[in-house]
Amino acid sequence: MDQKTLYDTIDPEIITRVSARHDEISNGASTNSKLAAALALGSIPVALAALSKDVYGQAPSDVLDVLQFALLLEHLESEFYSRGVAASGLIDAADATVFQTISAHETAHVTALEALIMGKSATPNPKPTFDFTAHGAVSGFNFSAGQYDTFKTLAQAFEDTGVRAYKGQAPRLINDKAVLTAALTIHSIEARHASEVRRLRGLKGWITGASRDDLPAFTQGIYDGEDNVNQGGVDVSGLALTGSNGGTAAATQAFDEPLTKDQVTAIVSPFIASA
Amino acid sequence: MAQKQSLVISSADQLLEGRTRRDFLKVLGVGGMLVLLPSVITACSNDNTMTGPKPGSGNTLTIDFVNGDIAVLQFAYALEQLEADYYTRVVAAFGSSNLSSAEQALLGDVKNHEVIHREFLKAALGASNGFTITATYPGVSFNSRTSVLATAAAFEDLGVAAYNGAAQYLSNATYLTLAGKIVSVEARHASAIHDLISPKSDAFAPQAFDDAFSPPKVATMAQSYIVDKLAFANAPGTFVQGPNNNG
Repeated sequence: MDQKTLYDTIDPEIITRVSARHDEISNGASTNSKLAAALALGSIPVALAALSKDVYGQAPSDVLDVLQFALLLEHLESEFYSRGVAASGLIDAADATVFQTISAHETAHVTALEALIMGKSATPNPKPTFDFTAHGAVSGFNFSAGQYDTFKTLAQAFEDTGVRAYKGQAPRLINDKAVLTAALTIHSIEARHASEVRRLRGLKGWITGASRDDLPAFTQGIYDGEDNVNQGGVDVSGLALTGSNGGTAAATQAFDEPLTKDQVTAIVSPFIASA
Repeated sequence: MAQKQSLVISSADQLLEGRTRRDFLKVLGVGGMLVLLPSVITACSNDNTMTGPKPGSGNTLTIDFVNGDIAVLQFAYALEQLEADYYTRVVAAFGSSNLSSAEQALLGDVKNHEVIHREFLKAALGASNGFTITATYPGVSFNSRTSVLATAAAFEDLGVAAYNGAAQYLSNATYLTLAGKIVSVEARHASAIHDLISPKSDAFAPQAFDDAFSPPKVATMAQSYIVDKLAFANAPGTFVQGPNNNG
């Protein structure tokens, strides 16, 4: 077996990871038995065959789970905006370009996520049936003329949720650089959308403290935790220059916070129709 | 026969460089064309922008990727220093600028955020924070709403693309999350500033996927505003492109 040739066909990063994993194993970290056996023989090329589901890529199932979860959120947004821009007399004419732009993006995100999922030899989950009244919390909302304020309220809720949802999932993608980078380029687009919708509604483009501003109480979970000022062990509200640069309010605006998958699921579940 | 060449001058300082003068003569010698981008014209109308040090003319600032995640944070720290310095100057010039009061309030918020980002990274880096960049703004007129907003939009877009592209070099999940917490605020800024320039158009988010730029590409773009010569050591050999495939 020509080890040099085999090495040359492999992403150097994998070699690095296997080497690092070898050290972890030496230090007692657990691994699957095939990989451990291969490494015990001191043969990195042999070990490569065993690691596709272990060392490299968090576990492909984790990445797939993130992609399917993101797909659900994008389906929610895509259908919401598609129906919004198609509805007669709903969106103010002056704002039509903004929402047509957002709508096109969310549809493109659905397509991209489906392609990423199929690229992992999996099948994209189907679009569920949505209930944009959130089981009655948004009473009577059905994209009718005259409901533009409610439409913008929901748009803000979905966009601010989307930013936090992608952010929360990023660490699960840390070993799949292609999916991570794709997800991040969607994540920041959701933030652009959020800022625009918030400003259309007369708010700042950024979130202050844990304030939901004028959104209804059922959206509070979208903003809980945004008042965090502990960033990686640094209290950013207590930095020497924070006081003269907007204080704690600015310190909370300057960092958007992640949500866990469970937290996001609790926020979006009311928008999924009961089976 | 030599092909006709064109020489593009994008910053006024280029006109003062020896290499540019040689190129200029070469271009004229073959009947080529000299192109002055609008930034040069703007710069020439403002003496202040002509006297600053040239971008890249200072000491070399090397970010060594042998330090792994720390190098990524140092790169972010350099960019946040640039942004914080820029908005501090923007705010300082409010008295003589034609920005509306609402625009000044918005840019004041952005200044606060960027200063806090810079100070956060300075604290997070600890002993690895020992460098300060010197910024320069060729062609920027801090009294001009148009100039200030266009430069701000460029910085915010670059910041978003920089974080999106550098994230792949982080191996620590905590740092990845922190980068994510900052990049979405940069994207909120970018959206708002583009909307000030071109209200209710598609400018707030002109594409479905943001850019993800490699650190060398970002450094080349940021270098236009930094006196120190940016350099990388042990830079990663591979870059995983984002959906726009332009990093």
